Amino acid sequence: MPGRDKVKALVLAGFGLNCDWETAHALGLAGAQAVRVHISDLTGTARRKATESLDDYQILVFDGGFSWGDDHGAGVLLATRLANHLGEQLRAFLERGGLVIGICNGFQALVNLGLLPMLEPGWPRQVALAANDCGNFQDRWVELLVEPESPCLFTKGIKRLDLPVRHGEGKLVCDEAVLARLERQGLAAVRYGNGRGRRAEGKWPANPNGSLNDIAGICDPSGRVFGLMPHPEGFYRASQHPDYTLRREQARRGGQSLDPLAPGLGLSIFLNAVAAAKETL
Amino acid sequence: MPIRLEIGLKPGLNDPAGQGLAHKARAYLGLRLEAARVLRVLTFDTGLDGAQLEKVRQAIFTNPVTEVSSFRPLAERALPDFDWALWVGLKPGVKDNEGATALEAMADVLGRAFGPDEAVYASRLYLLRAPRLGAEAAEAICRQLLANGLIQTWRVIPRGQWDPALGVGIAIPRVELAHAPSVQTFAINSDQELIELSAARDLFLNPADVPVIRAYFNDPTVRAARAQVGLSDPTDVELEYVSQARSDHCNHNTFNGRFYYQDLVSGERRTVDNLFKECIKAPTEALAAAKDWVVSVLWDNAGVARLDADHHYVITGETHNSPSNMEAYGGAITGIVGVYRDPMGTGKGSKLVAGLWGYCVAPRDYAGELQPALHPRRLLDGIIEGVRDGGNKSGIPTALGLLHFDPRYLGKCLVFVSAVGVMPALVNGQPTHEKTTAPGELVVMCGGRVGADGIHGVTASSAGYSESTPAGHVQIGDPYTQKKMHDFLLEARDQGLVPYLTDNGGGGLSSSVGESARFSPGAQVDLKQVPLKYQGLDPWQIWVSESQERMTVAVRPQDRQAFMDLADKHQVEATVIGRFRGDGKLRLDYGDRVCCYVDVEFLERGFPQWEFEALWTPPAARGLAEPVVTPPADLGGLLLELLGSPNLCSREWINRQYDHEVQGSSLIKPFCGRGQEVPSEAAVLLPVLSSRVGLAMSQVIAPDYGDIDTYHMVTASIAEAFCRVAAVGGDPEQVGGVDNFCWPSIIHDPRTNPDGRYKAAQLVRACWGLRDGCQALEIPLLSGKDSMYVDGTLTGPHGLRRRVSGPPTMMFTATAPVPELEAVQSLEPKLAGDLLYALGLTRDELGGGALYGLWGQTGLQAPITNFEQVREVCRALHQALKAGLVASACVPGRGGLGYACARMALAGRLGLEVDLDKVPVDGELDHMRRLFSESTGRFVVTVDPRRSSEFEQMLEGIPWACLGRVTKSQRLTATFGGQEVLGLTVAQMRTNWRRRFGRMV
Repeated sequence: MPGRDKVKALVLAGFGLNCDWETAHALGLAGAQAVRVHISDLTGTARRKATESLDDYQILVFDGGFSWGDDHGAGVLLATRLANHLGEQLRAFLERGGLVIGICNGFQALVNLGLLPMLEPGWPRQVALAANDCGNFQDRWVELLVEPESPCLFTKGIKRLDLPVRHGEGKLVCDEAVLARLERQGLAAVRYGNGRGRRAEGKWPANPNGSLNDIAGICDPSGRVFGLMPHPEGFYRASQHPDYTLRREQARRGGQSLDPLAPGLGLSIFLNAVAAAKETL
Repeated sequence: MPIRLEIGLKPGLNDPAGQGLAHKARAYLGLRLEAARVLRVLTFDTGLDGAQLEKVRQAIFTNPVTEVSSFRPLAERALPDFDWALWVGLKPGVKDNEGATALEAMADVLGRAFGPDEAVYASRLYLLRAPRLGAEAAEAICRQLLANGLIQTWRVIPRGQWDPALGVGIAIPRVELAHAPSVQTFAINSDQELIELSAARDLFLNPADVPVIRAYFNDPTVRAARAQVGLSDPTDVELEYVSQARSDHCNHNTFNGRFYYQDLVSGERRTVDNLFKECIKAPTEALAAAKDWVVSVLWDNAGVARLDADHHYVITGETHNSPSNMEAYGGAITGIVGVYRDPMGTGKGSKLVAGLWGYCVAPRDYAGELQPALHPRRLLDGIIEGVRDGGNKSGIPTALGLLHFDPRYLGKCLVFVSAVGVMPALVNGQPTHEKTTAPGELVVMCGGRVGADGIHGVTASSAGYSESTPAGHVQIGDPYTQKKMHDFLLEARDQGLVPYLTDNGGGGLSSSVGESARFSPGAQVDLKQVPLKYQGLDPWQIWVSESQERMTVAVRPQDRQAFMDLADKHQVEATVIGRFRGDGKLRLDYGDRVCCYVDVEFLERGFPQWEFEALWTPPAARGLAEPVVTPPADLGGLLLELLGSPNLCSREWINRQYDHEVQGSSLIKPFCGRGQEVPSEAAVLLPVLSSRVGLAMSQVIAPDYGDIDTYHMVTASIAEAFCRVAAVGGDPEQVGGVDNFCWPSIIHDPRTNPDGRYKAAQLVRACWGLRDGCQALEIPLLSGKDSMYVDGTLTGPHGLRRRVSGPPTMMFTATAPVPELEAVQSLEPKLAGDLLYALGLTRDELGGGALYGLWGQTGLQAPITNFEQVREVCRALHQALKAGLVASACVPGRGGLGYACARMALAGRLGLEVDLDKVPVDGELDHMRRLFSESTGRFVVTVDPRRSSEFEQMLEGIPWACLGRVTKSQRLTATFGGQEVLGLTVAQMRTNWRRRFGRMV
């Protein structure tokens, strides 16, 4: 569209989602015009018509939270709601080359919607995010290793990064055939590392949930749809990292400083998304 | 016809919930389960046909990758060789969140509305393979692990009685109150009659209030006014209203009481006319007047202070002890979700940004003979899980917490929950912290519906625990419903639609409408308009029900449509239930019948002040003395034992299951250091992401010092909380406080509470400590609460019953802005070679401390706080932090320098060399006292040696010393008189520190 140079990102809000503010903030820092949009404004309610449409956006963000309280499975009711009301809009959005990222609860919603891994048409549900093997919700930082051969547009140029996980249902499960295709096509975009740059090999807590093949996030074959359990917006700035005070001290000894609001590595994922979306403008 | 859907994980998949059950059965009950699988059960009591049911089964309720489901029993597929089937469902009337969201999703998928008689009920079916498990043991698993009899019901089915075709059968927990709502009136002809009525109806009226209540309803003017609306004698609605409002919980009768204090040794007598006014209100008012950063205190649901030029923060702290004591999970989740409504209902509303927790329970491995409502282990697990679900699903970071064990909490546990919000200073040009109602505005109730749950919560918490404590007040909070309401109300606020709001907590509508009506003043409400969960409630029940997740909002008539549209967008139920008026009357109707007509001011006039005798015996006269101890040459064993002790060991598993980073605001997390496992001194958040001002918060309790003198307990707690916020970079000139008192009953009774007068004196002294500490450190009390009656009567051996009173406990929460974000700091040493400094003076103060506690002794010399020194040390540290001179900062509190250095070494995974001869001391102290004294107002910090002289120049006027240095060796060593008196590796310390709870997840 002529005259429009700012990428617009739609960040879902409402019905128990709760990472909408910081995700929108991170996207803003990454150069997008991020808008928090209430799900009712997209789907309408029994009394009101929809006021927002995906047609106006290039990036769609399924952010973290507890949509519908996670009753009946994490992300399930959000997926049901969107499939029921937005199926056509979503199809059109993807055909236009729109980018979709699902984080934590958003990732859970994407696999339930069938937008991931999207190995076949018709959006079948082929991957699930089941209860953590450790049996509980976990908030801890993990190392993520990026699959170098992945088509994922969101992880381009990143080798590894630390991010927090914060979930009770993040164990990636699928049948062997699906797993083999994920691996063969490089769709397992990010994996849990052992903290020293190697795979976690299923060991808790480096792999915090027991995911198959240490998979923390996957993309679709086009690389434009990406979902992951860890939170990139949880490390949008330097001082969110647990080692911030250590790194700042090391910088100080070298006569440098490390601004607490300096970008964190998690921001790279949003920067990649905005860069990729710019090409579709 | 009702039909049941069963859903389970595919047989080949791990079932973590089943494994968790097997683990608990073995750990709690010593029962071995070979395998356990869990099925989710949804019972549809709807008019759906087969095709519709099949559609929702596939589209909503079954994950094709991981789950199988069927409208026929699944048990034999899920676990073919199960020996027991245990079914657990909710009792009628208990809020069924899962059932409600199921119905909502079905309505959406099917495009069909459901009628009031249609419902979905969620339950669970547990299948156990345990061939040697007896019927009694299976019953125990239900009763003790899976269900709480107050809110849940269960069935135990042995395999032999299992009907493969019927399965577990159909249970419909529908509430059927075959009751036509009515209003009763009571001709109360004498005080005695009202006292008897109070007992019969569980009103818990104070006998001293009875004549005042009668006098009001007998007043000819009042009677004439009432006659005009068709009322004469008081109604049940009115008496319940009075009971709620006059309860100690709502009215703080104890803290507003007059105390006659006497020191039994010196003979000194002092009268405190009103404990709250003298020790809390007056000092805070004086500080608020002097400090422009104090925005709003002492009247609203929470206190308000300035964060930065454009934002305020809002804070309050609560306890939810009585409900948690009986139903740990439900009580705790209701507590955390409930306290979140306080900042939400402060001013015109604030956005929630943090939750804090504190749990006091009896030892987790309690093996004594007394029988509490719940064993401490199960109690603690339930509390932890309740706060987890309440906090995580609210999307609010659970930023910090503490856990304290003491066998005296067996009578009643303590569950502290605190909440922090932020608000823009102005919304639409109006100050956000101000609110008022005006005649003509609509009274709108938002959020959940009203049921019989939560009736008499506040009156029950104004009493001790016994088996006859009414169970009706237990509820289960619903963070999902509340999160929607939170988002809705903030959007309404920002659109200028909210001139006033407040929460419905204790006392329900009676409290929220009663308080709101004081502004306009007056209100008229039709209780028949209040949306109910089920029919059949009497008007008085609607009026006092504490059903959760509700707020009361004033809405201008012209804004009604916009407000309701917004409610619809957020799918929050909002109902106009009345109007504010200016006639000074609170009038309640039920349809066309008036059921309450009283003066709004009625509850504020004429009630007698409570009075207490407070008799103090100083500690030495009580026989307390310092233990006679010769220290060992090597202190390593003592430090290792301290590290492993229940109150100092790692409790990482708790905050690890709490989302402490949501909202993207975390700066100093609950854990710090390499491996992120050592608890931080305080949390720092960046509540406004676009700001450069952080918010530090810390919390401290120290009940053991109270065994010596509650005055020193409180002053030490304030000092430590103050030092902790300073340690992470908080500005010591802008520290706010929150006091949460939890006390055993101080009402003297020669038979039931013979030491009540001593406990009253402990309360007076604690309040004096609070007053003195806050005045000296210039801490306004932004908020505070009291919860009296921390007592329980428990059944013991041989059928005897014993009263167990909790130790006097006060949690102090400190907050401070971090105006220079660069000043934030954590406690772990960063680099080997750095110098190690001690700031502040160490005295012979081990009384009530962790070391003596190892031997079960109290001692006499509790830390006596020198506030001047605390201030000076914190100021110096703050300057040094701002200058970037301090590489880590730790506050020696319980366990003294020894425990502080151990935490630092553990967090940094570095060694420390400490020369105990150098410790700045007051008097003659041996190496053990130097290492373990708990004197307040101290820090241990590390500093880059190249900047040490710059640092030292900032320490003028305060006691300090360089104790040694940070080493790469991963060894903590201490010398005294040239001899090594301590030498422990980080690995040794870590093993001990994590032995007790380190493997818990």
